[in-house]
Amino acid sequence: MKSTNRKERWITVESSNPFGQLILGGLTSGLLYALLLLGFMVVFQVSKTVNFAFGQVGMVAAFSAWFFWSSLGLPLPVAIGIGAILAVVVNSAIGIIVITKIPAGRPGLDLVVTLGIFLFLTAVMQLLIDANAHAFPSLGGDKRTVLGGVVVNANDVAIMVLGVFVIGGVYVLFSRTTLGMELRASAENADIAASAGVNVRLLRLGTWTFAGLLAALVAVLVASRLSVDAFYMTPVLIKAFVAGMIGGMDRFFAPLVIAIGIGVYEALAIFIWGSSAGTPAVFLLIIIALAVMPKRFTAARHEVRA
Amino acid sequence: MNATGYAMRTDQLTVRYGSFTALSEVSVGLRAGAITGLIGPNGAGKTTLLNALSGFTDVHSGVVYLEEKDVTTLAAHRRARAGVIRGFQTVRLLERESVLDNVLLGAERLHQPSDCSQILGLPAHWKWRTVARSKAADVLELLGLSSDSHRSVDSLPFASRRLVEVARVLISAPPVVLLDEPAAGLDQRGRIELAGALVRVHEQTGLTMAVVEHDIDFVTRLCGSVIAMDSGSHVMTGTPQEVFSDARVQIAYFGRAANAHA
Amino acid sequence: MTTQIRQLPATPSMMSPPPARWPHLSTVVIVGLIAAVPLVFFGDYWMFVAAKILAFGIAAMGLQILYGRAGLMSLAQGAFMGVGAYAGYLVAQSGLGPGIQLLAVIGAASLVALIVGLPTLRLSPLRLAIVTLAFGELFNWLLINSTEWTGGSQGAPVEPLIIFGFDTSYPLDAYLVALAFAVPLTLFALNLGQTHLGRRMMAIRDSEMAAVSVGVFIPKTKIIAFVLSAVFGGIGGWLYSATTGFIAPPDFDLFASVFLLAAVVIGGSRSVAGAWMGTAFIVLLPEGFNLIGQPNLYALAGGLLLATTALLLPDGFSGVFAHIKSLITRMRAQEDRA
Repeated sequence: MKSTNRKERWITVESSNPFGQLILGGLTSGLLYALLLLGFMVVFQVSKTVNFAFGQVGMVAAFSAWFFWSSLGLPLPVAIGIGAILAVVVNSAIGIIVITKIPAGRPGLDLVVTLGIFLFLTAVMQLLIDANAHAFPSLGGDKRTVLGGVVVNANDVAIMVLGVFVIGGVYVLFSRTTLGMELRASAENADIAASAGVNVRLLRLGTWTFAGLLAALVAVLVASRLSVDAFYMTPVLIKAFVAGMIGGMDRFFAPLVIAIGIGVYEALAIFIWGSSAGTPAVFLLIIIALAVMPKRFTAARHEVRA
Repeated sequence: MNATGYAMRTDQLTVRYGSFTALSEVSVGLRAGAITGLIGPNGAGKTTLLNALSGFTDVHSGVVYLEEKDVTTLAAHRRARAGVIRGFQTVRLLERESVLDNVLLGAERLHQPSDCSQILGLPAHWKWRTVARSKAADVLELLGLSSDSHRSVDSLPFASRRLVEVARVLISAPPVVLLDEPAAGLDQRGRIELAGALVRVHEQTGLTMAVVEHDIDFVTRLCGSVIAMDSGSHVMTGTPQEVFSDARVQIAYFGRAANAHA
Repeated sequence: MTTQIRQLPATPSMMSPPPARWPHLSTVVIVGLIAAVPLVFFGDYWMFVAAKILAFGIAAMGLQILYGRAGLMSLAQGAFMGVGAYAGYLVAQSGLGPGIQLLAVIGAASLVALIVGLPTLRLSPLRLAIVTLAFGELFNWLLINSTEWTGGSQGAPVEPLIIFGFDTSYPLDAYLVALAFAVPLTLFALNLGQTHLGRRMMAIRDSEMAAVSVGVFIPKTKIIAFVLSAVFGGIGGWLYSATTGFIAPPDFDLFASVFLLAAVVIGGSRSVAGAWMGTAFIVLLPEGFNLIGQPNLYALAGGLLLATTALLLPDGFSGVFAHIKSLITRMRAQEDRA
């Protein structure tokens, strides 16, 4: 099962409602971008650091899950479970050993440091497994039903349910609970939060763990729709990253909605202009959108409290 | 000099931020060649007035005049080129650059060789550099910063950092200077020295200056006239003695304390 | 009336050389060392590596102007190298010589920078970084999908440059040709630190409000920085293509851009010398592993080394030099006092 076959399948298979089909496809990829971005944003909230290696954390989970499943013959849920644990360990290690050590006030340094981690994780996985692309179990991609002329498979349903619950859950957690308040406080100023009795270290560890799980979840789902190798998460990461930057990493719904929008628009572009048009259509739209965006959406508020 | 005698003035100037009115129909003027103090409690609109004069905020209604020309819609950088140079309440410097470089930034207004001849390092650029550096040396000496000129500004004490900004404002000898609490954070001796330096510059160049300041002594020492403001409105204009002894100003400034005196 | 212009007072503070001179000295040393590399090893291979360092270093210097000096992060410097490389390639295909090629390279880089930059330079630095990323991705897609012009994803062989009898298909000649561009371009980049234009760029990086308050028209300065950096990138890419004799889209993709950014940051984004040191580090790192007979180790250790170096030296290599310099100054000052 190559990636191209899969793409064609969700667009062309016996669906009598091609437009609905493409919206569904775009919506599910967009939700995957949004979920990865959510992890990215949570890490950013705690560390004010852009983690370029975040997609590779997910890759570690999915690629090793594939390895345990196909080469060692472990049952799929066990393999994915081990992969997820690996992702949590790797993400926490990156958080504790690397990200908290990046000094403030040097823009760009976070990008370079996490680029190094990106290359390292890629090299490790290529060395331990291999450099080729492999088909991943389709995780419900073959259990289909037809709704309103649209072919819906279990994988799509899982992504939508997970997307709504995870995003909604994080929102409620952040805005409605004391835990969320403590998280925001320790992101704002760790010292003050600590002196107010917040266990900042534990909270951070929780954040790394959660983000690692999210990366693993997204990576496994993406792998189940395409295929898995050491690099396959990069396009997903780039689109999540772009949505975060356009929407603003300090906001919640705006960047996530943009991420979903990118997924839908990408599917639309592929539908209209053909499969090679997805990438240029997305990036062209990003440039044009940013170029014509009114100033008040693009610039930080101009305060001359002199 | 123009008929009104004001280098800069406003007419019925109103500035709003959302539903908040920061300035309400303010008509005041900076007398040409004089030092004018701007006083008032926090939130009186002094800084907003400075922002409106220098083009750093959008104006809701009313007019800003520079030498009787309407400059209300002139962008901030153009107003600076036209000769209105300002300082900031929070000092804004190139933190890891030298004092000299920070002061030289203010030389923007001096006629420069073209960007192309600067990029290529043509002789015109080197000649200009010598001229600008000697002006910087003058203004640094005036403010007592000569010995620090090659230090990085982030290593300077707070008071000197303020002076660096004042030096950046003064290097191009602008016709209109707007300073926002230049003496904040200075000790008594520093204030006297700064006031002395500003008076000297004023005597040498005859520039028009507006200074936002809380310190009554500093204002009295420096300013020929004072504009008092409160809650976004103009209260009165007069000599420092007149203004500081006015009941309305005392109430605005000292609240009940003024009543206790009375 | 203005203050009269006096001669520089002969006070010690004004007579002593400004600290800004120091990085210049180190730049001369660094460029000298890079120039000496092929003379030390004196083999075609090392000549080739040195020529590559020079080509990448020119592009990195351009990024240093944009990012280190003006504070605008670009994730498209690799793409601008591609603009230069493919512009030179297309002009060479129609049989035109190096002079016309150079003009085309500069023209294409400037034009593309203007098209990308003019509508977007008002954006905040992070969003501008996204625009450059998007441009880089678009450019790469364009290279892959216009096969009849660019050779597509298979790449294309590039005719060597022949300038005054120097033929870049020979590593020594490629090295000398690249050096002939690197030296004047380094001098231009250094000179920028002495100009008011350079100071204006720093003001945009540190405080746009301070810049505006003295009369700087920010968009114009940003455009100049963007075009300058693109032209440096274009020339670097053109020399790179002449050195390797072959170009393909992956040479100019997002990773190429990110590596150039890494070179600038690792070298120390505030100095021209830093751009050279960072480039040398990034290019020589894999060569180092080859040298000790462990080429496979590079993939593994290279990333870790990059991350560790960036963490240990947050101000980059040139930051270390500046630190040593300030220590020496402080010690001297103490001796004077004693």
